[in-house]
Amino acid sequence: MNASRVELAIGPLRQMRRSLVGWAIGLGAVVAVTVAFWPAFRGSSGISEAIDQLPAGVIQAFGLAGFGTPAGFLRGNLYELIVPLLMAVAAVAAANGLTAAEEDAGRLETYLSQPVSRQSVFFGRTVAMATWLSALTAAILLVQLVSDAALGLEIETLQVISTVVLCGLLALLFGTLALAVAGWLARPSVVLAIGIAVAVGGYLVAALLPLSGPLKAWSGLSPWTWALGGDPLVNPAEPWRYAVLLLPTVALAALGAAGFVRRDVRAA
Amino acid sequence: MSATLASSPAGPAASPRTGAAIRVTRLVKHFGPVEAVHGIDLEVRSGEVFGFVGPNGAGKSTTIRCLLDLLRPTSGSVEVLGRDPRRDGVDVRRRVGYVPGELRLPERMTSRQLVSSVGRLRSGLDDAFVHSIAARLQLELDRPTRDLSSGNRRKVALLLAFAPRPELLILDEPTSGLDPLMQHEFLAMVAEARATGATVFLSSHVLSEVQRAADRVAVLRAGRIVAQGTVDELRGRARQRVEVWFSDAEDGTDLFAIPGLEDVVVEGRRLAATLSGPIDPVVAALARHHLASLVVEEPNLDDAFLDLYGGQS
Repeated sequence: MNASRVELAIGPLRQMRRSLVGWAIGLGAVVAVTVAFWPAFRGSSGISEAIDQLPAGVIQAFGLAGFGTPAGFLRGNLYELIVPLLMAVAAVAAANGLTAAEEDAGRLETYLSQPVSRQSVFFGRTVAMATWLSALTAAILLVQLVSDAALGLEIETLQVISTVVLCGLLALLFGTLALAVAGWLARPSVVLAIGIAVAVGGYLVAALLPLSGPLKAWSGLSPWTWALGGDPLVNPAEPWRYAVLLLPTVALAALGAAGFVRRDVRAA
Repeated sequence: MSATLASSPAGPAASPRTGAAIRVTRLVKHFGPVEAVHGIDLEVRSGEVFGFVGPNGAGKSTTIRCLLDLLRPTSGSVEVLGRDPRRDGVDVRRRVGYVPGELRLPERMTSRQLVSSVGRLRSGLDDAFVHSIAARLQLELDRPTRDLSSGNRRKVALLLAFAPRPELLILDEPTSGLDPLMQHEFLAMVAEARATGATVFLSSHVLSEVQRAADRVAVLRAGRIVAQGTVDELRGRARQRVEVWFSDAEDGTDLFAIPGLEDVVVEGRRLAATLSGPIDPVVAALARHHLASLVVEEPNLDDAFLDLYGGQS
């Protein structure tokens, strides 16, 4: 990779440092504060019994099964919805900030008027987004592992790593979807709306369709099911789950680049 | 501090087939239902300073953005330094320095960081040259771009355009926001770049700037070129104000019949008029009179452009 291509990824990444710190602090706080409640839950049978009284569908939809166990506590409070959804929103916002928002503001023109191809600019920003998200994922994982150790939440480290990485890959998929939209259309509001709507819609499909017998099979269409459907905090995640998240991500990046090289660049 | 703004020795200076640095043929650009450019034909010769003027919304920036492959023509063709910007965009942009009209610099970095970043995209810039241009433009490189005034942001854009010593400078409203001292410095930089073989495509609202810098000018109005030629040719189209003071109370009515002499007003010994044609018939007619004084104002390029802008092409 030559210096020009490295710069096309590193340059935008430098400008995203503050947002990375902000998201890492925010999501880290969510994780740390949640785990801080674990000592109160540990050994308390009352809450587990109360949850057992809920309808089975509600327990399944909100990942509340085994809430009194470390895995169930983390799943129900963090990894069924909150953390993956916030990571997806962060990824979509980062993707938008690197592409459509920059183009809409006229700031991409400085780079696009240099001796670089549109394709390399787009892929540089895709790499920047993936790197940014990797750093966010690593920060969340670090806070999770440190909090677990500090507050006595005993769970297999590999299961935690696997779950957080799958959340990161899920967010990467939605972030790349946002990039793909931005590749064809430099409208920040549309990019954000589509990225977040698909992420939320995917959660609803994964969470609600299994409650309906005839529609249950369709929940397999949701990336949320691909990533977290196997309950990775309890069961080791199968390798195909990583692959099936990465393949459409690569395809979406290519689709976005194909759009970006074909259209006009928006002026400020 | 001064530095010579030499063009790069690398690559041909112009199209090997056409000898033109820029050739635009029947360029049409639509944005949905909006027709921004309606069939422009334009040729910028290698080594010249070419002025591209017109009122807001005339299509200047649209045309320029087609040259950089930022916009794709609806029809027609564009050739820059002998290459098709769509097919050979990377090569074209390597040889071009560009100042955008609507300037938005990346934020959260200093000018120095931005220059370094662009340098890495261009396989390096000459540091000493960068600093010499910054000094000429009195630009502080360590201030964040978002804290800069519009004039200082324009200086950063000029620095980025001139620093690679490009063969072709495409400058869209390059002096917007600059104070007169910096405008003067900019013109000196353009002259130096030209002296070393660079071609300059200068879009500007500042007509005096075009008058001073450009060899030839094209005037764009409503997406069409309404006039093209040397500055002198365009100036020749401008109306001149003529004022005559006769020695005695003379009958100057013979002047009324001179073609091109309009708005004739006679007040005692004074006759004032505007002239839109050749001055020879006026001089011949005045030779038959005794004059105390004669004032013929130099044709003003502003007037020529205002006429063209107004549709009197």
